[in-house]
Amino acid sequence: MVKRLLSALEYPQCDVNVNDEATFRKIVAWLELNKINKADSNVANGLKNVTSNDWPNHFQKYKEALGVPNLQSHQEQLQWLLGYAVQIETHNNREVYIKHAVENLKATNVPTVVTENPLDKLDFHSKEFAEGITKLAQLLNITPHPDPLVTLKAVAKLVTTRLSPQAQANPSEVIIKGTPFPFQEADLGFDLNDPVLNQAAKVLRILYIHDLRDLQTKANELIVAVQNITANPKTDTKLGKVGK
Amino acid sequence: MVVRQYNQELEYLEKTSPYCWRIKKGFQPNMNVEGVFYVNQTLEKLMLEELRNACRPGMAGGFLPGVKQIANVAALPGIVGKSVGLPDVHSGYGFAIGNMAAFDVDNPESIVSPGGVGFDINCGVRLLRTNLFEKDVLPVKEQLAQSLFDHIPVGVGSKGIIPMNAKDLEEALEMGMDWSLREGYIWAEDKEHCEEYGRMLNADPSKVSMRAKKRGLPQLGTLGAGNHYAEIQVVDEIYDKWAACKMGIEEKGQVCVMIHSGSRGFGHQVATDALVQMEKAMKRDKIETNDRQLACARISSQEGQDYLKSMAAAANFAWVNRSSMTFLSRQAFAKQFNMAPDDLDMHVIYDVSHNIAKIEEHIVDGKQKTLLVHRKGSTRAFPPHHPLIPVDYQLTGQPVLIGGTMGTCSYVLTGTQQGMLETFGSTCHGAGRALSRAKSRRNLDYTDVLNKLEEMGISIRVASPKLVMEEAPESYKNVTDVVNTCHAAGISKKCIKLRPIAVIKG
Repeated sequence: MVKRLLSALEYPQCDVNVNDEATFRKIVAWLELNKINKADSNVANGLKNVTSNDWPNHFQKYKEALGVPNLQSHQEQLQWLLGYAVQIETHNNREVYIKHAVENLKATNVPTVVTENPLDKLDFHSKEFAEGITKLAQLLNITPHPDPLVTLKAVAKLVTTRLSPQAQANPSEVIIKGTPFPFQEADLGFDLNDPVLNQAAKVLRILYIHDLRDLQTKANELIVAVQNITANPKTDTKLGKVGK
Repeated sequence: MVVRQYNQELEYLEKTSPYCWRIKKGFQPNMNVEGVFYVNQTLEKLMLEELRNACRPGMAGGFLPGVKQIANVAALPGIVGKSVGLPDVHSGYGFAIGNMAAFDVDNPESIVSPGGVGFDINCGVRLLRTNLFEKDVLPVKEQLAQSLFDHIPVGVGSKGIIPMNAKDLEEALEMGMDWSLREGYIWAEDKEHCEEYGRMLNADPSKVSMRAKKRGLPQLGTLGAGNHYAEIQVVDEIYDKWAACKMGIEEKGQVCVMIHSGSRGFGHQVATDALVQMEKAMKRDKIETNDRQLACARISSQEGQDYLKSMAAAANFAWVNRSSMTFLSRQAFAKQFNMAPDDLDMHVIYDVSHNIAKIEEHIVDGKQKTLLVHRKGSTRAFPPHHPLIPVDYQLTGQPVLIGGTMGTCSYVLTGTQQGMLETFGSTCHGAGRALSRAKSRRNLDYTDVLNKLEEMGISIRVASPKLVMEEAPESYKNVTDVVNTCHAAGISKKCIKLRPIAVIKG
């Protein structure tokens, strides 16, 4: 860990033995001079003089000034100082690091392409378009709507849900199973005094129920996903007691 | 209180249809609205008989007859519409059991009453289906009943086998079935098919006394005593093929499991604690009622709010309790048939509450209003397309589970639009007592009751056999009469009839 931190701080020689007193002193002096810069000149000079007998006293003062906790080994003390230095270094270079943050990288690396939809160039009102769509709808067994654009929407929906490669490979996944329900006889809940409007309202009801079912299924899937992490059902028959 | 002769009393009652009676103002003092009750010919006799007995000289001061209790509720401040008596109505604490009443939340005078919910808060019924048929189960019926009995502790003083500590209980009270889901005791679809999605959001465990929590902790996952039971039932009749089909019931003979239980000692303690608080609040706010048992507090008062929050916690307790028993029933079936509960298709059809007060939106006199609906011995029965019922039942209406008594049939009904208009979307809850517990003990012999069940081919496992006569079918009104009245009156619709083949109870 110490080595990695040293290399991160660009210490000239990373492969060091920190238990060696001379090396330890050298590193501390280097850190203060190049990275931390918090000691007053007296202490800083004392630390620079790595061979002096007075060094430990200066180091003690230095530790007090920085607020180093009471740590025993050189290893631990060095680790703390390195961490402190890294913190200062990161803070100084904040702008640089933010530029490399994941979110920002994503944003900058993807070239912004103005998507061009070939359909935009079509003339939706042309006779050819209308005829083409009607033919497509017939081919797919869709009742054409007077507005070819609406028909196109229906075609698109069918193609994306039923004719996608996934759906083709595994048709049972998309074909809705279940027992048919005579919804024509079901109670609508209100009467619009017009059989055609009532019929339309019933269809809207069914579409709404379809969407609601989809939403509920997704909610259930979400619950199951969470359960995979949290569930831990337990029983203990020893706790059981039949009453009187 | 006014003392009148029986035929003088009858002047206040008017039969408006073959299934419906009106209680006019003046039947009891200070009635704010009229009362109404639904009965057929048989139940009508029982109802009037009770009133006639109470009118005999020297009977004043005894049990109030159900019909008087309905009228007393009509005299409570803030009540709207009518005080409704369902066909299984019988006298209870304050409110009759089988009584529903709605109070306008926006009226500052409106009250909430623990007597309108009952002591067993969120007592309810849950129905599980299976893909088994009677022929699969009959050969192993005894073993299955024993296995259920071994998994689900029953009786007074029973203790559950799901380990819980005080912290688990706090969380369960707040989260309801979401707790059971988080801990993995139930399936996501169970929540979907439960009233309120198995969680009252306004629950606040800090409003619940330590005493209630202490009573409740060891009781989670136990069935309890009294009229509570777990039954293995078979589909006996299908009246509405399409609605049944939406519930996953395809054919006669299909096997289901019904669990009828509530919030045990926990709910009882919550109700008891609240009654003490409410008596003080009544004095302070000068609320007057016809009956001391109708202790209540204004919805907006501290006492009213505290009760609603602790009641919600008790409701959550009951849902966790029924969920734990669902888990245990699935285990029992899985072991017996050596199949996973999924492969047995053991889905929850629905879970109803029949002792609860809830805030709901209803149309009163053409205007949408927010009401506090008390249902005591009464089941919510919402019509098709109501936003609060599960998507699977949008076309059929909410399933209403009506548990019979030991040895009799149970029913599944569905909610109707007419019920929504007439009874705030409420219907009956079960058979309804006809004889008091003491009277049943005097009149019946427990060995006869047990023998009769055996003759009918029903396996029974019971913790205290000497009390079974209290729950014998003879002690109750006929559930078929009750259900037929609801169907004929149009307040709910018959869908499925179920018949028991094995019973476990306290």
